[in-house]
Amino acid sequence: MATTKTPKVNEVNEFLEIASDFEDPLEVIRESLSNSYDAGATEVEITIRDRPMGSEIIIEDNGEGMDYEDLESFFDLGNSTKRGRGDGSIGYKGHGTKIFYKSEEVLVNTAHGGVNLRAQMEQPWEKLNNRIMPEYEVRESTIKEGNPGTHIRITGFKSGQGFSPSTLTYNKIEHYLKWKTLAGSTAHFFTEDFHEMEITITLGDEIDDTKDELVMDNKLEFPEEQLEPGSGRFPESRMCKHYGRQELSVETEDGEETTIEVVGMIGGKEARNELPTYGKHSAQFGIWLAKDYIKVERLNDAISHDNEFLHFFFIANCQELELSANREKIRNKSSHIFQAIKEELSHYLSKIASDPWFKDYLEERRKANLSRLAESQQSSVEQRQQRINDREEFTPSNASEVLVGLERSNRNDEQPEITVEDYDPEADVNALVSLHGSLYASSIHRSLTDHFEADKPLESIDKIICWSYGDRDQLNELERHGYHGGEISFDLDTGQLTYRNGRKHNIHLVSVRDRY
Amino acid sequence: MPSSSGRLENSTFDITSKAGSARRGVLRINNTKLETPNLLPVVNFYAGGTASSLYGGGIHRTMKEFMNGDEEINGGDYDRYFDGIMTSVSSLTDYGISKERFEDYIDDPIKQRDVFDFDGTLFVDSGGFKFLGDRTLDGSDFEMEVDQEAIIEIQQHLGADILVNLDRPIAPDDDYETRVEKAQLTAKNVDQFLNLTDRTSHTRYLTVHGYNYSMLDTFLTEIENEIGRNRVHREFDGVALGSLVPLKDDKEKLITAVSDCREVLNDWGFDDLPLHVLGISSSAIPVLAAVGADTFDSSTYLHAAINGKYHTTLYNTKPIDEVDFAECECPVCSDSELVNRMQGDAEYQKDMLGAVAMHNLIVQKEEIECIREAIDKSGKEPLIEYLEQSLGRDKSMRPHAHRVVNESLGGYF
Repeated sequence: MATTKTPKVNEVNEFLEIASDFEDPLEVIRESLSNSYDAGATEVEITIRDRPMGSEIIIEDNGEGMDYEDLESFFDLGNSTKRGRGDGSIGYKGHGTKIFYKSEEVLVNTAHGGVNLRAQMEQPWEKLNNRIMPEYEVRESTIKEGNPGTHIRITGFKSGQGFSPSTLTYNKIEHYLKWKTLAGSTAHFFTEDFHEMEITITLGDEIDDTKDELVMDNKLEFPEEQLEPGSGRFPESRMCKHYGRQELSVETEDGEETTIEVVGMIGGKEARNELPTYGKHSAQFGIWLAKDYIKVERLNDAISHDNEFLHFFFIANCQELELSANREKIRNKSSHIFQAIKEELSHYLSKIASDPWFKDYLEERRKANLSRLAESQQSSVEQRQQRINDREEFTPSNASEVLVGLERSNRNDEQPEITVEDYDPEADVNALVSLHGSLYASSIHRSLTDHFEADKPLESIDKIICWSYGDRDQLNELERHGYHGGEISFDLDTGQLTYRNGRKHNIHLVSVRDRY
Repeated sequence: MPSSSGRLENSTFDITSKAGSARRGVLRINNTKLETPNLLPVVNFYAGGTASSLYGGGIHRTMKEFMNGDEEINGGDYDRYFDGIMTSVSSLTDYGISKERFEDYIDDPIKQRDVFDFDGTLFVDSGGFKFLGDRTLDGSDFEMEVDQEAIIEIQQHLGADILVNLDRPIAPDDDYETRVEKAQLTAKNVDQFLNLTDRTSHTRYLTVHGYNYSMLDTFLTEIENEIGRNRVHREFDGVALGSLVPLKDDKEKLITAVSDCREVLNDWGFDDLPLHVLGISSSAIPVLAAVGADTFDSSTYLHAAINGKYHTTLYNTKPIDEVDFAECECPVCSDSELVNRMQGDAEYQKDMLGAVAMHNLIVQKEEIECIREAIDKSGKEPLIEYLEQSLGRDKSMRPHAHRVVNESLGGYF
């Protein structure tokens, strides 16, 4: 007999799981901004204070406020009233506000249509961890119409380890907001009736007392264009070119259609530094896929490998992208539509990468590098000149200069004349020299000891030519311990080295310095 | 609309519109008219080209049946795909034919023969490319020393509309001295070529060889040294850029060679002459047309078919047995008899592959028609749009499309 079963959901665990995904108080700000935006707010103020029992976060906006249904969805999981509204709403999963459950108290006051609803939830996080579903109490009061808005106070927010509000600064928040939230929205490039919102952030003095508040808008702006190189040692560094709004149509083989809205810039380091950055440039710049005009994830594969993505900052918005609950990842990467988006974007960016301006910019960069290299070479030449002026006699600093010294000694008629016929610095036997009409396999070093330090063999050479013999004690140690399993002895007065390793080898030592 | 007329006497070359470096024109020679840019398919008139060689000639024979619209290929009108044809003197020297057979063969001009129904522009190449790789033009079978004089005789007998001098192509690894030596050998042929032909009755193209501006400038300087400044500037009706076949798979170098050639020709005052690119076609056509080539010739349509490849686009092929012929609307694929043959229902291999070759040629010819239409429209945008939607959609060709748009059409941004 067949039975039908309905899968069950453990509600408490689900709430715990979702809320646990969020750790950073900055994520509270991100979610709050999205909620206020979706409520049509033109102003939102967020205040964060660091308290001994956890942080206090207050979010206040002048949006349309919430009715009973909205309030329910605020506290419910996966029950967003914004689902499928298609009016540009950012939140629709009903997950975002569950971050507020990681606290000791959630207090919501919201005014809508002449009614104020006050909702209070006590100890939500503690209850969830005790496997109890937290409840909230709602009280209704009448107020004057015309003053809608929402005030949310989160008390005792439990940040994850390393995300304490005390680590926040206005600077960090500004960069985070512009990079990760709708404060860095690209919507204004594409929509005529752009919904502007003024965002005010206030941090308690115990967190950052460098200013009273931070005020910003919800628009991503690029650094001012500068098409020509500047002056100085890094002339390319401030170069910047904007690539204005582009709407790319995408169609899959099975007829699915969408539009990608792309806007971006290419710029040098100085220009990029004018943008808010959140982390290293290598982790921030490149090609960003966005949804709701907010950056989600990078797609640097869309630029071919020989172009350094670091110079690019492009945001490609597409509403067909599906996001994970915390908006950090794109979920539908294996879909046809995602592949088509990737292909279209890749095509568009290949045009950007081929733009002669970009090539000129790279050329300026290359020239500046070369010029800096030449500068450092010049300085190295000057240092070498100084060394020559300071020294009392010619002193080789490498094997090639020993050759120069040897040739000079020949020119001064030093006897016997030893001429280098062949020199290969990489070979063990690095030179063939002629003496009295015969060729000799030779090893040339700045000092005799260098031959042994380089662990070179003795069996195959007839002569070791060096500027000087070097450290005599080091040579004595070689006599004591042997070399490559054989016995070795030096007679520096007659210029002879004797090596016995099964066979006896006599090697002629030439000290070039002694020829002067 | 810009318009200029070349200096041809028995012919004219009118440039009717331009898009960047790309030119749209009409080349009129004798009674023929060729819209440019255009592709001249290489046709071997000798193989299967006589009434008696009924079963010989293989795929070459089938191509001529298409040219004629013969019953053997189930009739049909393919005339517009044969508005110009390239054939080479070497198509004779490659066959071991006797002196009598040779003399008999070249007795009548091609266009006057009953077995051919061809009235387009006939370009007869000198076969100089045979000298590459130490090969030669061997006329020993028909007891003839193949030199410039003999080449002209064959070209004239075949009734060529366009004649080209016998040349010594260069190879990519030739050093400077070798290239200059070859240019000097070509220059001597050019001198003879001019002496033995008459401008009033022949349309004469000068072959040029080089992979960049400097090589081409050196080449032209050597020609000028041999024949004098006046003759270089006054005696030619067109220019044929050769030696590019070894670079056929390197589009980057091909683009450089052709665009530099256009530049050097402009600097030498040859900008109103038509520029033919010898031996290169297929996927290179759009980019080379965009940088200023006027005509091309190639046998890739045939070779692809012989290797069992069916062109789905200018850039892509499929093995014949994987093709869905219903997806193509060309006259070959719309003819059920020919489709049956392409599916293997054919007595001879030539009947199957010949149809594929004709289809491949149509793909190339129709693509070049799109290019002409894009240049015809005003401004550069239609050609940019064409390049972007054709080559730009093929990953391997995309960088070349971008380069051409940026260098010759003013760029995207």
